[in-house]
Amino acid sequence: MSETQTNSLAERLVARFGEVLSKVETVRGETTVEVAAGDLLQVATALRDEPEFDFSELIDICGVDYLGYGQNEWETTSVSGAGFSRGVRGEATGRFDWEGRPRNVEMERRFASVVHLLSIRHNKRLRIRTYCDDDALPLVPSLVALWPVANWFERESFDLYGIVYDGHPDLRRILTDYGFVGRPFRKDFPLIGNVEMRYDPDKKRVVYEPVTSVVPRVLVPRVIRDDVDLQQAKAEAADHWQEN
Amino acid sequence: MGLISSIDRVMHNPQPLDRVDDILRPAGDNPIVQRGWATTSVDALMNWARTGSMWPMTFGLACCAVEMMHAGAARLDLDRYGVIFRPSPRQSDVMIVAGTLVNKMAPALRKVYDQMPDPKWVISMGSCANGGGYYHYSYSVVRGCDRIVPVDIYVPGCPPTAEALIHGILQLQKKIRRTHTIAR
Repeated sequence: MSETQTNSLAERLVARFGEVLSKVETVRGETTVEVAAGDLLQVATALRDEPEFDFSELIDICGVDYLGYGQNEWETTSVSGAGFSRGVRGEATGRFDWEGRPRNVEMERRFASVVHLLSIRHNKRLRIRTYCDDDALPLVPSLVALWPVANWFERESFDLYGIVYDGHPDLRRILTDYGFVGRPFRKDFPLIGNVEMRYDPDKKRVVYEPVTSVVPRVLVPRVIRDDVDLQQAKAEAADHWQEN
Repeated sequence: MGLISSIDRVMHNPQPLDRVDDILRPAGDNPIVQRGWATTSVDALMNWARTGSMWPMTFGLACCAVEMMHAGAARLDLDRYGVIFRPSPRQSDVMIVAGTLVNKMAPALRKVYDQMPDPKWVISMGSCANGGGYYHYSYSVVRGCDRIVPVDIYVPGCPPTAEALIHGILQLQKKIRRTHTIAR
């Protein structure tokens, strides 16, 4: 905590930027602001340069895909209390058929780019979330000019989510294979991928082929949210045996 | 009785019979060895040479590589078996694929394998190299390095212990000894 600043970071952000920030909230001590893509560069420059904030360090940039956000794939409220049991029941067979595909129902915009900042002078951290206006071409201004470390983070986000960072000096893939097709962290990308690799002895090189060796499946999580130990502890707490 | 004793005298004759059979007798009473000669078949000699100096190509890809380092370090000491890690495929006989083989690495792995001189062997170390393991259902991982290179020995485990890797290397030695290069 900074001793020189009496009011909280959220209050100072609202006082400085006002309506530019569409949302300011502090949850569990973590402050998050939402900025429109058009205002991001201006807000970020002010956060870096003004001594009141002085966010000198960029920690991380990551993409988010909100497709299917809030949709339950598994019913996890009722839990079996005995034995090795999954404790979950599938609401559907998984996202294999067209009906079970992830859809945008709760979020009006699909992609977001999230920036984490650190102010070393004030010992403060800040999260900036920027929703992309266009789902087909998610566009966010690049922060490489402000923090050079953003270069590879933005390339990663571009590689895995397809978010285009406007003004990036060298926006190309960084993690996936050369010539990879698709954006693998998008919710509608199949986990097993579209192609798999093997060595072709005739061509004397490795070749990509459509996936045939595995069938898609969903791994069922084991939920221990409300298991027998917790029930026992609750029952013991409710039983006031010393008073009775 | 007479027959058994006569056969026994032939089989364990302390005196040299000056026959070809002498070379098959154990070293202690083998007259040829006693005169300072060593005899063997060319096959056995080649296999002895190959098993005694298996130089592996260091292909550490993930956490299995740490166990491979343990196998090479002081306690287990792969040097005892003549196993010396080489940084170049041109000097290697064995490739130990230690770790997750991803799609992006597969062409490089195959190129390194192709650069190794014959005869060459491959040890697949760990679940990921054996069949994809934990990442079998991933979009970016080769589902077993035997899709890329021919594998001689599979060492299971996640990761296999250094002892398990050494056991695999000894199994490969056993496999090499069974091969016949000259007499097929």
